[in-house]
Amino acid sequence: MPAFVIWISYVMLSATLVLAFIRLVRGPSLPDRVVALELMASLTVGFIGVYALTSDQTAFLDVAMVLALTAFLAAVGFARYLERGGHRDD
Amino acid sequence: MNALTWNIILALIWVGITGEFSSANLVIGFVLGYVILAFAMRDVKHFTHYASKVPKVIRFVGFFVRELVMSNLRVAYDVLTPTHYMRPAVIAVKLEARTDGEITILANLISLTPGTLSLDVSSDRSVLYLHVMYLDDEEAVHASIKALEARVLEILR
Amino acid sequence: MINSLLASVFVLSGCFFMLLAGLGALRMPDLLMRMHATTKAGALGIGLIMVGVAIHFLDSGVTTRVMAIVLFIILTAPVAAHAIGRAGYFVGVPLWEHMVKDELKGRYDEQTHTLASPPKDETQGGR
Repeated sequence: MPAFVIWISYVMLSATLVLAFIRLVRGPSLPDRVVALELMASLTVGFIGVYALTSDQTAFLDVAMVLALTAFLAAVGFARYLERGGHRDD
Repeated sequence: MNALTWNIILALIWVGITGEFSSANLVIGFVLGYVILAFAMRDVKHFTHYASKVPKVIRFVGFFVRELVMSNLRVAYDVLTPTHYMRPAVIAVKLEARTDGEITILANLISLTPGTLSLDVSSDRSVLYLHVMYLDDEEAVHASIKALEARVLEILR
Repeated sequence: MINSLLASVFVLSGCFFMLLAGLGALRMPDLLMRMHATTKAGALGIGLIMVGVAIHFLDSGVTTRVMAIVLFIILTAPVAAHAIGRAGYFVGVPLWEHMVKDELKGRYDEQTHTLASPPKDETQGGR
């Protein structure tokens, strides 16, 4: 795989991370922030995939697999917290 | 679904007999089991419709991937251009699906198709509430959801 | 050679869709539409990147893991989106002012947590 492809992929993924981070800071409501966090979790899976390509280590894919399985648990937990008495307008 | 369980059992038996546990061998066992169940066991009640299931599933996957890419491109266009063309709305769609499993699968597939996001099912399970991004023509949106539902139920039932 | 080219195309388009998800999360006007961008473009992006990884390694162990990752993402992304969307809607996150229609409004009973279905004549496309 050509080096510039890897480089462009990293640039795009990092830019996405920055965008998600801006949304995380800006909010304005708690669910918006949870959405940004979830996007970051799936971004991490993407990062691990590209890193597995650069390092030729397939073992990283196991980490990505576990992350893909557990990333949504935080979102579900936040959703339950919101419905059971979070602030009405934060 | 029962026929699928039998097919998986046959594939596992194949893997056990050949003694080579790899995904390629599992796929070979599955295909062999499918051929046996679909053509040799046609007379048994559970397997009569099984032969037509797999082509349906394959066609559905093709349809779904095409739908996924096409409508992603539409959303992409909207995200990239400065003006918003969205006409968002929350609409109610009547459900033909009855059991929990059917409703869950249908709602997940609707959420994965860009432009629609399932929000909730009414407590009597008759209506699914969706958030739609482009409500240009309400009839067309209803029709496309109905078409997706018909395809899903055709496979599940 | 052709493998490397194909893998590059898949990885790059996957990263492009991830970027799109990020842009959508930032630019869309309300919570539900941000989720439209992040769940679908995110899931498609991960799927494409992982297909690229599978093509690069061309190994049955890697392919199995890639299939598992894509399956997990496809199974869990809509569940998370549904949970947050529902919670956000009922908690009262402000929606975009240009909403065309809202058939869910006022149908949810906060005390009993039941959700009514709309009256018969309002729904279209019935059986």
